[in-house]
Amino acid sequence: MAPSLLHPPSQLSPAAALELSQQAPALLQSSPSTVSSSPLGAIFSASESPELWIKYENLLLSCLRTGDDLAAQQCLERLAARFGEDNERIMAFRGLVKEADAQHPGKLEAVLKDYEEILKENDTNIPITKRRVALLRSMGRVSEAVSALVQLLDFSPTDAEGWSELADLYLSQGMYPQAIYALEEVVILAPNAWNIHARLGEMQYMAATASGAGGSSYQKHMAESLKRFSRSIELCDDYLRGYYGLKLVTARLLKESGKPAKQNDEGGLRLPDTSTIERLNELATAKLSEIVRHSTAGDRGWRGYDEVEVAAARELLSEDASAASRIER
Amino acid sequence: MAQVPVQTIHRDPQLFYWILLPITAVMILTGVLRHYATVLMASAPKKLDQKTTREQRALLRGINVRGNFHTLAKPSFDVRRDALTTAYESGAYLKSPENRGQAPPNPLSDPSSMEGMMGMMKNQMAMIIPNTLIMSWINAFFSGYVIMKLPFPLTIKFKSMLQAGVATKDMDPRWMSSISWYFLCIFGLQSVFNFLLGSDNAASQMAQQMGGMAPNAGQMFGPGVDPDKQFLAEAENLAVIEHYSVLDGVEQRLLEGIKV
Repeated sequence: MAPSLLHPPSQLSPAAALELSQQAPALLQSSPSTVSSSPLGAIFSASESPELWIKYENLLLSCLRTGDDLAAQQCLERLAARFGEDNERIMAFRGLVKEADAQHPGKLEAVLKDYEEILKENDTNIPITKRRVALLRSMGRVSEAVSALVQLLDFSPTDAEGWSELADLYLSQGMYPQAIYALEEVVILAPNAWNIHARLGEMQYMAATASGAGGSSYQKHMAESLKRFSRSIELCDDYLRGYYGLKLVTARLLKESGKPAKQNDEGGLRLPDTSTIERLNELATAKLSEIVRHSTAGDRGWRGYDEVEVAAARELLSEDASAASRIER
Repeated sequence: MAQVPVQTIHRDPQLFYWILLPITAVMILTGVLRHYATVLMASAPKKLDQKTTREQRALLRGINVRGNFHTLAKPSFDVRRDALTTAYESGAYLKSPENRGQAPPNPLSDPSSMEGMMGMMKNQMAMIIPNTLIMSWINAFFSGYVIMKLPFPLTIKFKSMLQAGVATKDMDPRWMSSISWYFLCIFGLQSVFNFLLGSDNAASQMAQQMGGMAPNAGQMFGPGVDPDKQFLAEAENLAVIEHYSVLDGVEQRLLEGIKV
């Protein structure tokens, strides 16, 4: 799939980002350099379309990533000329460019101070608040980032982006219950997002493995992890990460099935019986090998899987196969 | 059977150039002007301070939890329900907790709500004034003219619509008076404005009238609504939820649903 400037470039590989940012001179040349923001001027000047501004934003991000600061600056100037310097989004982009330009940590401190100045004037400026959190995180001050984010989510608890960032921050600190809570908020806001369900399954699995087998919370986490992965596949039935996680969880459960753990009845989720787990494991294995086979062959309709994820799935399958052959011998 | 004789009225061809075209042109021009006048007069949406945002979004969060509770397992949902109900009932999310229990301020005396009403007034005025002017202009100059003949036959019922201002009993309804042409322009120029100004233009009066009828989404947090009452109602809604989860039995559904 060719990268498009109409989608946010955060998930692109370095090569794709470079390809995008190389379109910068052409795009900057072909579009008019100023579009007036006053309605009277708009009658006479060239017409504009929302796509143009989306392109500028994404180009700005790609250029910053590939080090083309000059083109990024140009994009920013055009956006600022159209929407004004006091637009919250533009302020955040300006801060982003400044962060990218900063040569030494002292400059970053200055940018951080700028953010705090802006927030002192207007404490509902959400883009700047988010930039501040991101900057604090990249400077390694995680606890400050967490408290700033918690404060943002206190007055704006319907912000899915904020909750998922908080989940990620907590996860990086190994605070699994908090991370799971934050990600559950994202699921509430986007109940059919299969990637979030799978991510929640991954977190539950991590929490289970971290707490160690045998504990009562272990059972609970494993059960919910299994169910989250199943739900994710139910919502998107070719989702590689879902099958990968399902296989991981069921394999682990089957390995431990020799010692029947006591099920706690506290209204939580219960693990299904062993035969169901076996069938789930078989399903995941079959589907994973199908995906790997088709995707490696480059069949029609099976492209678009992330190469890294396919490679990981192949590795998991081959591990599984070698373990099976060892048992047979 | 006697044929109804075809009516012929000899009209001056100049009527076309001096009445039909001017009315149409004036209608289009006022539409365009009104669009730009509305754009110019539009005031930027008012900024909410942090406490108001918090109050509104806390309520939205409760609504979201209520709507999507089935994505959560029971323990996680119970935690949220307890926390939200307690906070709602204690008024922790209220903008001004000290005003709890008092009657909401009169929306007419509240200055913050006045601005919204002024905006509505302005829009209404931008619609009413030009229409009144044009109609009186047409009435003063062109009343009583029959200006065109429609190329298709119509029943007698259309007479009152097409021949407004021309009081003749026996005239074929295909003949059309100038004031009727004006009304036809009001309702028929919609697509012309869409073409000229883009689809979300402010010139089309139909859209504005429709917008006035439909309940607008901002009503939930509008003036005169007591947030404390909303919170209490939401707490009650949360409390009566009978929890179930999509995670219950999902693996069985999966095994039945997906075949490799």
